[in-house]
Amino acid sequence: MARHDPTPAERAAANSSVIHDIGYQRYEGIRLGRAQAVRALYLASMRSAFGLGRSAKAKMLPFGILGLLCLIGAIFALVRQLTGQGGGQTYYLGIPSTVGLLIIILLAVIAPELVSRDLGNKTLSLYFSRPISRSDYVWAKLGAAVTVVFGVLLAPLFIMFLGAALQSGIGWDGLWDEWRDFSIGVLNAGVYAIVLATLSVLLASLTGRRAFAAGGLVTVFLVSTPVASAGMEIGKGAVGDLAGLASPFTLLAGVQRWVFGEGIPVGSYGPVYGLAAVLLVAGSVLLFIQRYRKVTA
Amino acid sequence: MALIETQLLTKRYANGVTALADLTVDVEPGIVGLVGANGAGKSTLIKILLGLLAPSSGQARVLGLDPMADGFKVRALVGYMPEHDCLPTDVSASEFVTHMGRISGLPATTARERASEALRHVGLYEERYRQIGGYSTGMKQRVKLAQALAHDPRLLLLDEPTNGLDPAGRDAMLTLIQRIGTEFGISVLVCSHLLGEVERICTSLVAIDGGRLLRSATLSAMTEASGVLAVEVDDDGVVDASAALAGYLTERGRDVRRDGRQLLVNLTDESVYDEIRDGAAELDLALHRLEQRRHGVVELFRSPAPDEEAHHGAA
Amino acid sequence: MSDIALTGASRWYGNVVAVNDVTMTIGPGVTGLLGPNGAGKTTLLHMMAGFLAPSRGTVHVSGQPSWRNPDVYRELGLVTEKENVHGFLTAWEFVLASAKLHRLPDPAAAARRALGHVELGDAQHRRIETYSKGMRQRTRVAAALVHDPAVLLLDEPFNGMDPRQRLHMMDLLHRMAGAGRTILFSSHILEEVEQLSGTVQVVVAGRLAASGDYRKIRQLMTNRPHVFVIRSSDDRKLASALMAEVSVAGVELDKTALTVRASDYGIFTRALPALARKEGIRLVQVLPSDESLESVFSYLVAS
Repeated sequence: MARHDPTPAERAAANSSVIHDIGYQRYEGIRLGRAQAVRALYLASMRSAFGLGRSAKAKMLPFGILGLLCLIGAIFALVRQLTGQGGGQTYYLGIPSTVGLLIIILLAVIAPELVSRDLGNKTLSLYFSRPISRSDYVWAKLGAAVTVVFGVLLAPLFIMFLGAALQSGIGWDGLWDEWRDFSIGVLNAGVYAIVLATLSVLLASLTGRRAFAAGGLVTVFLVSTPVASAGMEIGKGAVGDLAGLASPFTLLAGVQRWVFGEGIPVGSYGPVYGLAAVLLVAGSVLLFIQRYRKVTA
Repeated sequence: MALIETQLLTKRYANGVTALADLTVDVEPGIVGLVGANGAGKSTLIKILLGLLAPSSGQARVLGLDPMADGFKVRALVGYMPEHDCLPTDVSASEFVTHMGRISGLPATTARERASEALRHVGLYEERYRQIGGYSTGMKQRVKLAQALAHDPRLLLLDEPTNGLDPAGRDAMLTLIQRIGTEFGISVLVCSHLLGEVERICTSLVAIDGGRLLRSATLSAMTEASGVLAVEVDDDGVVDASAALAGYLTERGRDVRRDGRQLLVNLTDESVYDEIRDGAAELDLALHRLEQRRHGVVELFRSPAPDEEAHHGAA
Repeated sequence: MSDIALTGASRWYGNVVAVNDVTMTIGPGVTGLLGPNGAGKTTLLHMMAGFLAPSRGTVHVSGQPSWRNPDVYRELGLVTEKENVHGFLTAWEFVLASAKLHRLPDPAAAARRALGHVELGDAQHRRIETYSKGMRQRTRVAAALVHDPAVLLLDEPFNGMDPRQRLHMMDLLHRMAGAGRTILFSSHILEEVEQLSGTVQVVVAGRLAASGDYRKIRQLMTNRPHVFVIRSSDDRKLASALMAEVSVAGVELDKTALTVRASDYGIFTRALPALARKEGIRLVQVLPSDESLESVFSYLVAS
């Protein structure tokens, strides 16, 4: 093989041959505090809820549900445009209960992913041997669950708002009214997200097996709903009014009725629903925190 | 500064089990072996050192800090490799170690870089992009070690790091730990029930029995020479070689006794070496082994345990 | 007769051949069954214990086939790897139940004897859930011994034991072997096997790679030079003298010692003292560095 005369660059390289040191390097840089660690856990949890960083199969369901919800929002917007009817706060308030089943399915997938997975794999030892506390872990997971559900409910609401706001001839007053109705819908979605997500992560934390957690969640939601409905149909007076407390969705519909004036009939027991919702959330959070006190490293 | 100090550290559980009893020990930096503590004692000590469990009485200090008061600081400086399975199955090693690095306080890019380096140091190359679920036991152990190492701890707590590994895997892991303790400059506490491993890589040892301290010393102190020479000559079926050599030495006034296939000769003076050599040469024996007997860590456990009867659940 | 005898035994599951044409005889004393994870040790033990039929070949214990032969359990005791004692029973109750299951004429006496063997005297009336790992293991050994079998099989008996518990268990097994029982235990922790027994059966990927005393097995590996680490009063002089020897394949010198690779073990070990004496060199240390079970094992697995 003919070789060429060394180029100046090659000669320079030959004269300066060296073995680079790629041994272990110590780290003297910044170490971020607890707050950042919690934020990292919060963001990573949301990512894993949507299946990012895992296989394509894991992404299908969450994105699929998000897509469906967007589609539903678009359909509502389109129907309103075409028929010229609908609107007002009912337009937005109806979304969570309409898509309730999809939310249940979503929670049945993400709550076990967020919570049961670490329990089942016993990865908690690794988390708790780091500079975060048990309650930091709990709040990060809870926050991630609530954020995901809220985000998924927000998507169709926003599409519907855009659809209405971009109508020609709406005017500033119309826009302002629309914005107000939208905000009410967003607030309502927030309440739904908090109650449903909190309850779901608590239920998921009872087992380390994802399938069991999913099944348990679905059972609780789906079994309790007919019970509440039956109570509402058949019961008279106070019983009928209070029957909605028996199931998360009807509870939320009752709260919605009390706060925004639309939902299931609750008679004068509106405040009871409100209180029940608050207690449910507080109780779930406490139990959820408690669950991790017992876990050993 | 001592690496780990405890004073009269005691932990009694509600069900009556005393995991640690008046443990007082001062551990210097290096590679430290923790032996003899099984089950309750060992995991209790680790949890106390990490600040995850409060002792019933007594104190502990890790890297000069009190784990109860400064738990977060301690855990930022310590890397822990649990004995049990603790890895998720559906993410890659690379993702997981990066994630853990961020939870330890490393900024995002640094976490990615250090995770990649840690995985390289433990010997995981292209496998690191595959999901952990498909890894062999050896690979999983390495991932556990990498996540403990990524945030550059000052102290590594390794709980039975060679658990489930076959001899080749065990050898590789021990070599790696030794490198970490010597080249990387990180102190290591290795919990192991295999004394051979401990004698191989550790510089000092803490032996716990029934929750109490049995002995704490440097390895060299514990495995010092005993003043006795062990000699092995091969019997080839024709001659009882050991007996012949024993006779030769006894004739010259040496103190000889037999221990299985070995002859033990008191090393009263240096000329014993030459007599053994000459005896083997004259009698045409096959000299197979000649060494000064050393004490082994196992001897600690041959004597009765301190307060054995008083302890619930002692061996 | 208390032998375990396998002749051409194989066991397969579909395409997975767990045990491949194994012929071995295990007599009284302690023998270690050694092999990497997944080599077939547990399958072999299960075949010997009559839980699995050989797909081909025969498995006999004390002269009788072990498969589908309830009588064989009079001769055989098995201690499995997985813990499966009921925590709420006491050791006494558990061993007594085992004695009754064996339909022994005097179950109480047998239970007492078995518990005496394993030295669980004081603790036997406490519940098993309060026991340490070592005590639980000893309970299971007692239950396996209660009918005084000639053959005892143990699958990874030292798993997770601390040093003291291990010493106790080893002493127990030594005693039983000394009394004429045939004891076969499996392990992948060479340190344990080395301490307990020089006699091994090594399985690699379902095949029997070697049998016998591991030191003798090492000597049979004539294609691998034996490695010795030697310290003397003049390593360099000794090194050059050794290089002249026909039985020496190579020497390597460093600050602390002289490493010799001997192609002929027998000739070298005789030549060494004679040569040292002739040259006037004092031998301070002669250490065979690759005849440990660990080295023998790695050579067997590699080939």
